[in-house]
Amino acid sequence: MAEEEEIVGEVEALQAVYGDDCLLLQTYPPSFHLHIKPRTADDSSQQFVEAIIGIQAGSKYPDEPPAIRIIDSKGLDEQRQKQLISCISERASELSSCLMLVALCEEAVERLSSMNHPDGECPLCLYPLVAEDSGSSEPFMKLMSCFHCFHCECIIRWWNWLELLKESDAPTASGSASSSGSIRDQDEESRRKCPVCRKSFLAKDIEHVLDFVKTQHAVTSSRSEVNNEDKILSSVSEKLRRAKFDAILKLQQEKGGLIEIKKHEVLRPGIYLPQPAALPSTASTEEAKEQQDKDLAANSRTNSSGSTNKPNTSRARNSSTKKHQGHNSRKQVAQSSRKQVTQWVKKENSNAT
Amino acid sequence: MSASSASSRKTLSKIACNRLQKELAEWQVNPPAGFKHKVTDNLQRWVIEVIGAPGTLYADETYNLQVDFPEHYPMEAPQVIFVPPAPLHPHIYSNGHICLDILYDSWSPAMTVSSICISILSMLSSSTVKQRPEDNDRYVKNCRNGRSPKETRWWFHDDKV
Repeated sequence: MAEEEEIVGEVEALQAVYGDDCLLLQTYPPSFHLHIKPRTADDSSQQFVEAIIGIQAGSKYPDEPPAIRIIDSKGLDEQRQKQLISCISERASELSSCLMLVALCEEAVERLSSMNHPDGECPLCLYPLVAEDSGSSEPFMKLMSCFHCFHCECIIRWWNWLELLKESDAPTASGSASSSGSIRDQDEESRRKCPVCRKSFLAKDIEHVLDFVKTQHAVTSSRSEVNNEDKILSSVSEKLRRAKFDAILKLQQEKGGLIEIKKHEVLRPGIYLPQPAALPSTASTEEAKEQQDKDLAANSRTNSSGSTNKPNTSRARNSSTKKHQGHNSRKQVAQSSRKQVTQWVKKENSNAT
Repeated sequence: MSASSASSRKTLSKIACNRLQKELAEWQVNPPAGFKHKVTDNLQRWVIEVIGAPGTLYADETYNLQVDFPEHYPMEAPQVIFVPPAPLHPHIYSNGHICLDILYDSWSPAMTVSSICISILSMLSSSTVKQRPEDNDRYVKNCRNGRSPKETRWWFHDDKV
């Protein structure tokens, strides 16, 4: 009898520790569901798995370990589910004849934390979410309702595709459909379903990624333009063209027919050409002329290559700090997006309550 | 054959190519049971041999599936038909067209050739009668001009088979 009291005490302790995460089904013999999350200091953006496990003790508890099973889980493939259960069960048999419920729950959280990484490949492109040599992997996102993860680019490509379909369907729908209202709503709803499990998700999940991709895109597009530029600049025809241009420039300068662009000329509101450090104000001495020649040659080079470059400089500059975050380390990306994510979560919660 | 060859299709996008190469590599390591990919150098059209599952009406029967990939696969569903002679099945028309929702309205880009194959085999396996759809003749006549099954407005009324 004393033992039953002890067990009831243990259950009370359990409820004190886990609060709302513990759903008590029966006090004696104890049976409960426990909602476990990996230890991420309540940062939901770092959370890729979660589970509800059922622990059910028999009348011979604690001499006989309780039965443990998974009630529900997110982000865990079958293999990891099995592994989780077998780890907890193993711990249970180790602790046989001791009161072990809290210890088991701790073990569960511990194990789950060690499994807290996104699963395998992006379901849309089938390439790994996290590359083995983690440096080169693409940013990815997670749907909060099911924890399915996708590369940001992939999910946005899919989303834009659906937008496109919606637009192209719109005229025919209004022409032919009589009950278009309900159909439209249905469309809207079916659009917002996870491609993997078809569970509905919140529009915010996508909006957040759209914002992220926009800033990313500015970076990558300016990057790829630079790459293209390099290619163009190193091509033979471009070299010839430049040589010819330089010759004409020199000739013009010698004949005094060159109208010099003012160095501080405004290209766009707020953007100035950087002023060369040693800019001669007068071209009287031979030395200064030489210097000017060099400047002009340099200038002409930047001008010839700059036509595609310049309009982008502001964007590139704005996002250059983001670029570092985006490409050097994944963690920083997650951190920069952390605030927003936690914000929604809070909103979600406040909506729910 | 008429159905697929008519629609002049655009070549695969780069994304589609990458994805298909990935699928093909995965298939070679881990093909779905009962299927054999007939190797060609055409990434855009796969011909896949299906063998009816043992213990079903189609046991030991062999059919060929033809899978054509659109430019924007996997955003768009591939076109999947049986190369006639198609199996006798209440959802498979004699011209090889298959009435299966995931190939049309319920397509999701997270599905793969492999998952399609499994769905088709499960559709075959759960059949209890070997017969054509009721509207077979009418439908096939309608498709004579080489219409793709993806242009059909399908009604998916029966989810038992």
